[in-house]
Amino acid sequence: MSDIAIEIKSLNKSYGKLKAVDDLNFAVNPAECFGLLGPNGAGKTTTMKILYGKCEPDAQPKPHIGIFGYTPQRDALTIKSFSGIVPQQDNLDAELNVYDNLYIYSRFYGLPATEAQKRIAELLDFMELQEKAKVKIRELSGGMKRRLTIARALINQPRLLILDEPTTGLDPQVRHLIWNKLRELKENGVTVLLTTHYMEEAFQICDRIIIMDQGKKMLEGAPRELMKAHLESYVIEIHGISGENHAAKMVADHPSIRCEIYEDTLFAYSNTQEPLSRFAESLALSDYHIRQANLEDLFLNVTGRSLNELQ
Amino acid sequence: MSFNNSYNVPAWWQRILSVWYRHERVYNSDFLSNAFPPFLEPLIMLWGLGIGFGAYIQTMGTMNYLLFLASGIIMTSSMYTAAFECTYGTFIRLEYDYVYDGMLGAPISTHDLIIGEVLFAGTKGAFFALAVLIVTWLFGIITYPWSPGAVLVGFICGIMFGTLSMWITSFTHNINHFNFYFTGILSPMFFFSGAVFPLENLPGALQWIAQAIPLTHVVTLARACCVPGQFKLQLLYNLLYCIIFILITGRLALRGIKKRMID
Repeated sequence: MSDIAIEIKSLNKSYGKLKAVDDLNFAVNPAECFGLLGPNGAGKTTTMKILYGKCEPDAQPKPHIGIFGYTPQRDALTIKSFSGIVPQQDNLDAELNVYDNLYIYSRFYGLPATEAQKRIAELLDFMELQEKAKVKIRELSGGMKRRLTIARALINQPRLLILDEPTTGLDPQVRHLIWNKLRELKENGVTVLLTTHYMEEAFQICDRIIIMDQGKKMLEGAPRELMKAHLESYVIEIHGISGENHAAKMVADHPSIRCEIYEDTLFAYSNTQEPLSRFAESLALSDYHIRQANLEDLFLNVTGRSLNELQ
Repeated sequence: MSFNNSYNVPAWWQRILSVWYRHERVYNSDFLSNAFPPFLEPLIMLWGLGIGFGAYIQTMGTMNYLLFLASGIIMTSSMYTAAFECTYGTFIRLEYDYVYDGMLGAPISTHDLIIGEVLFAGTKGAFFALAVLIVTWLFGIITYPWSPGAVLVGFICGIMFGTLSMWITSFTHNINHFNFYFTGILSPMFFFSGAVFPLENLPGALQWIAQAIPLTHVVTLARACCVPGQFKLQLLYNLLYCIIFILITGRLALRGIKKRMID
């Protein structure tokens, strides 16, 4: 097996005229948690599907895709034999109960029955679903379904875990539980590739991320370093300004502040708090809040603040 | 939880069997409501048609009418169960429950998935044929010792209508459109296959149509198993028709479903 977990070079995917993935390149190291970030329609899911052969990349220009040295176009079954896949939409078998969902899935990997029983018990334990073994899928909550989908993806003890928006729509407790489990897996040497549009998720668990927009890679790096390199430390948001407002003009008097205006909100950025509070006071704002800039600001900066047609 | 280092892709037959096994488990998880109708249906058919028509028609062609009807509806029962499985059943797994998407996350290919499903349709075809046979045995309608052979024909019939139906499903995007298939294609087949009346006296054009449709050939084969004196060399031609039909529609189904599953 190869030293690099995932290697993608010149990956393209078009649907008619729409370019879903546009000349994408990245590499993931073993036991790393790598995040693909981007708004809906950025090409994250398409990229994931290409990795396990659910979607075929454009033949020209010829892409290079290596998953531990295997190519999905040729070795999709091998790749899936050592990977676990958690799709965006839970696709559990609604006609079977929790236990049978895992058991039937173990058969797809050719696991012997005794081995499967042992792993199912472990996984129900790991994902805190022990009480639910005999429960029908439609009686599970969204969070339980998600945990079961992740448990199912772990039935073959994968060395690569691919998760498409693992925590979208879940409550904070379940999100934290899933993050903890993913960290635990990573510590045990599992390579994790995930997509998300939660900035906090990327910050919490990803070693490195790429931010994608309209199929292209916009930024790549460790979340903290990206923040440092591309964004000031603090931000103040001033709402309810109009285009010709004097606030925008006032910024000119504060050279250490960079500002952006989106619709009726002004975002003023600076590396220290002090110029921001002076700026706010010069506007005679009675109530203002200076906060640390976060990955979300970076994300919005990179991918733009307006909605695209897929959002 | 940690990863191991020995990963294997199961052999092709293991993969296909694991798909078959999934369907078997789902079917048997509700065994009572699934196992009852295959017995009830032939009972109603034989009772209704047998008593109604039977009062006027004692013989059909060369044989007792009840025997003719019984040996015919073995296959119509197999046909309908396979067709339901691979239209509505397949469509729901494909479009509503995303069961196929789930399977494709495991080391299962689209081909494994389709072949496993068609094999299950064949199994259901065999089971439904057996159910009809049991009813006819109990009532002493079919007594020919070769009649268990019709179970095998039921399997072939299930495979034929499994591949045909999956192909139809591969280009159906609205579940209601299956109505066209059932009323437009399967219902005429039911009548013009020789299952409920003999084909010999049909006008010329209908004779040709009867020979072209798949159900006719399995009905002929099944009847040969159930009625004395029907074994002849010509049955090989019927069997050949079935094999070619399965190969052609199977190929179309594989291509169509794969196109639909892989972006």
